[in-house]
Amino acid sequence: MKAIEIKNLSFTYFGDEKPALTVDDFYVNEGESILLTGRSGSGKSTLVNCINGIIPNVISGNITGSVKLMGKEVRDMRLPDVAKIVGTLLQDPERQVMNYGIVDEIAFGPENLKMPREEIERRVKKAIETMGLEAFVDRETTKLSGGELQRVALASVIAMEPAIMILDEPTSNIDPEGTEKIFKFIQSNKEHMTQIIVEHKVERALPFVDRVVVIDNGKIILDVSKEHLMRDVEVLLNAGIEIPEEYIYAKRLNLETVDPDTVRERIREYGIHLSRRERNNGGERILTGKINIEVEGRQIVNTEINLKKGQVYCIMGKNGAGKTTLIKGLMDFLDRKRFKNNSELFIEGEDLSDKDYVIRGRKIAYLPQSFDLMLVNKTVESEIYYSAKHRRMPEFKKIGDELIEMFSLEEKRQTDPLMLSTGQRRRVCMAAALASSAHIMLMDEPTSGQDFMNKKILGEEIHNLCKKGFSFLIVTHDSRFAYRYGDYIGIMEKGKIIHEGEPDEIFRFSSQYGVIEPSDYVLRIDQKEVLS
Amino acid sequence: MYGIVDTIISWLLFIFGVSIPFYLILGAIGISGFREITSYEKYDSFYYNVNASVKILLSLVIVMIAAFSIWWIGAIITFAFLASYITLKNGLRKVYLAGLLVLSTIIGTVWGYAPYEPLSIVSMALNTPVSHFTTIWTWPPYFSILGYEHTLTLQSLYYSFQISFRFSAAIVASLLLVMTNTPAQIIKTLSRFKIPDPIIFSLVVAMKTVPAVFESFDTSIKISMMRGYGGNKPKFLRPFIILGAAIGSIVPTIVHLLRGAKDIGISADTRAFRAYPSRTYFMLTPFKREDYFFLGFIFAIVIMAAVAIMMGFGRAIPYLT
Repeated sequence: MKAIEIKNLSFTYFGDEKPALTVDDFYVNEGESILLTGRSGSGKSTLVNCINGIIPNVISGNITGSVKLMGKEVRDMRLPDVAKIVGTLLQDPERQVMNYGIVDEIAFGPENLKMPREEIERRVKKAIETMGLEAFVDRETTKLSGGELQRVALASVIAMEPAIMILDEPTSNIDPEGTEKIFKFIQSNKEHMTQIIVEHKVERALPFVDRVVVIDNGKIILDVSKEHLMRDVEVLLNAGIEIPEEYIYAKRLNLETVDPDTVRERIREYGIHLSRRERNNGGERILTGKINIEVEGRQIVNTEINLKKGQVYCIMGKNGAGKTTLIKGLMDFLDRKRFKNNSELFIEGEDLSDKDYVIRGRKIAYLPQSFDLMLVNKTVESEIYYSAKHRRMPEFKKIGDELIEMFSLEEKRQTDPLMLSTGQRRRVCMAAALASSAHIMLMDEPTSGQDFMNKKILGEEIHNLCKKGFSFLIVTHDSRFAYRYGDYIGIMEKGKIIHEGEPDEIFRFSSQYGVIEPSDYVLRIDQKEVLS
Repeated sequence: MYGIVDTIISWLLFIFGVSIPFYLILGAIGISGFREITSYEKYDSFYYNVNASVKILLSLVIVMIAAFSIWWIGAIITFAFLASYITLKNGLRKVYLAGLLVLSTIIGTVWGYAPYEPLSIVSMALNTPVSHFTTIWTWPPYFSILGYEHTLTLQSLYYSFQISFRFSAAIVASLLLVMTNTPAQIIKTLSRFKIPDPIIFSLVVAMKTVPAVFESFDTSIKISMMRGYGGNKPKFLRPFIILGAAIGSIVPTIVHLLRGAKDIGISADTRAFRAYPSRTYFMLTPFKREDYFFLGFIFAIVIMAAVAIMMGFGRAIPYLT
């Protein structure tokens, strides 16, 4: 039986002239798992929202055609009835989880369905067991790590016992360990649950799906079984989708397998030398910090960190390792009444240990994960002028104009920054942060929720800025990004950087600390370096 | 003739009234302090074991008593409940933070009412002829543009001080509810009172969002200041710099939260929210010994207030002479 059947579907958002999504014929069989991928704004979320009934029940627009779930037409069903069939796990668990207690959160759906208490109890117990939440079921949802919270969010969807499960970028905000647990669930429930996994990172989801569907410009441009994906690698690349490097080489060498180790051996046999980025770790030391942070008498960060001029230093590790606290401690962004910050910080020889974030802001720029919070001006131009203007730099226009050009924002100069796309907003924020004349930038998960093209642009921008003497301290879970654009990696655990070194050195053993090595690294193991 | 010294003092008095509440709220309590007194934290003491419905009843009773009875009853209620915060998690700090909020409410209310209150109204409320009023300051004539009375009297200050306890008592009781009950407990209670689900859901989302609002707001303000906003100004002006940065941070914070609110709505709708006119509840919150004890206490407060009003201590209502 077909779990999902879509025919001649077209959806246009109110105010738009062109449809955001057009699907002639698409189906998903019962028990099938599909990967739905495409660049940001391609139409993935629109398709998902047409399936889970959010369109047209919550998001309005002009919809034509047919969407059937288990043979029933979605437009003839009330949203709560659709919810009995389709479960949806959203990208950001902090926005999905609404209750204070874990049990309250899991019971929310069955309670809405007016189930008897015994049945709710059975479902809650089962969901807790399935997601392995027993160890922390009494904790408050506000005190959980990102990975734990995402498992709670998934448990709350499982408790609805849906026949179809949509996982919308379920791992973009969590660490590899949390990701592993989510995918373990996907794997173990493959047979009795139809699954749609929306994901930018094909590499992560591919082992768990049967079929890959690519959307571009609101249309399905590829619908192929996983086994045949290799022959369509170019389609994915042209659609701006991040695909594992071994797929590209497997296709080029006409290999049957895409196993990275096998592909690496064949690459070696063919005498192909894969290039590696030259790591820039020879600059002078410009930031030295001994960060010691306590909360309620408990030490949560106690580590040293050094950053060199022109260096990209990536801080990696599990959720809850203290990465964001470290960055906020360096910036003096932690609440002084709650956190005790006994830190030493020297930047370019100047002692900033006792200085607050206002003074530190002259030397360090900070881009938080929720970078939109920076955008306090009405135009891109005024946003970028803001910092230099407030610091009374006479040449603030010159500085701002250079940054506008550097970040290709000339056409958007008079646009409200909050109206731009995610990638454009991130670029405005970076330009605005750098306009403060700071030459050190701290970034917290800058690739989270960004597609391949945006990540590539970001990496290249960072690389170009490093050539101009800027240095970056980046907190990231994205191993591939760290391998491609990082010069140095520090592995953080329990508030301390316990290992640091160049990416090739660190990825040899990083998996034991919850940092999975990217296939780019695996393909280059023991290869002679040849710079392209 | 109004001299230059008088003009300066008048403006200083004006600035005092505007700035002190802001200083207390932004400088002394701070955004993190607000988060502490508006969020639930797990703990085990008397208040945490009292049913949310009893605390909602307490809030309603206190609002009514503070409105109907003489001011010092509202004051006693305010300070008695404030003192009882000591039993909460990090009680001393919560007493301190909520105390500052009460203080800013009193100063804000006094300075927000006293200069504007027509003397005839104050005369009726205090049952004192205007001719017996003590003038403590005469404002420059152009202050009338601001809506100020020509003079500031001791009686106007006294009357406004009385009014402030109507607000402070309600604030102290309401904070007690949000600090000691989870959103889920409040949902169940409101649902029992037959409050419509969409309203309950809005309240729950608001309660869940309040800490996030403070956190996002705090981050946005700090980033603005880190980027140079007010960076060249003296440190004693910090609360005003924070206020300026806070005004600029309202739009990005709201936009950021609205993007999140859309997801919360989808999260609820895709889990069958409003599938039926009512819901079942897995976790029951039966009445316990503490609830009956507290209900008895509320009843005692009502009786004492009623007796006080009957004895003539109900004149806090203006015009009731």
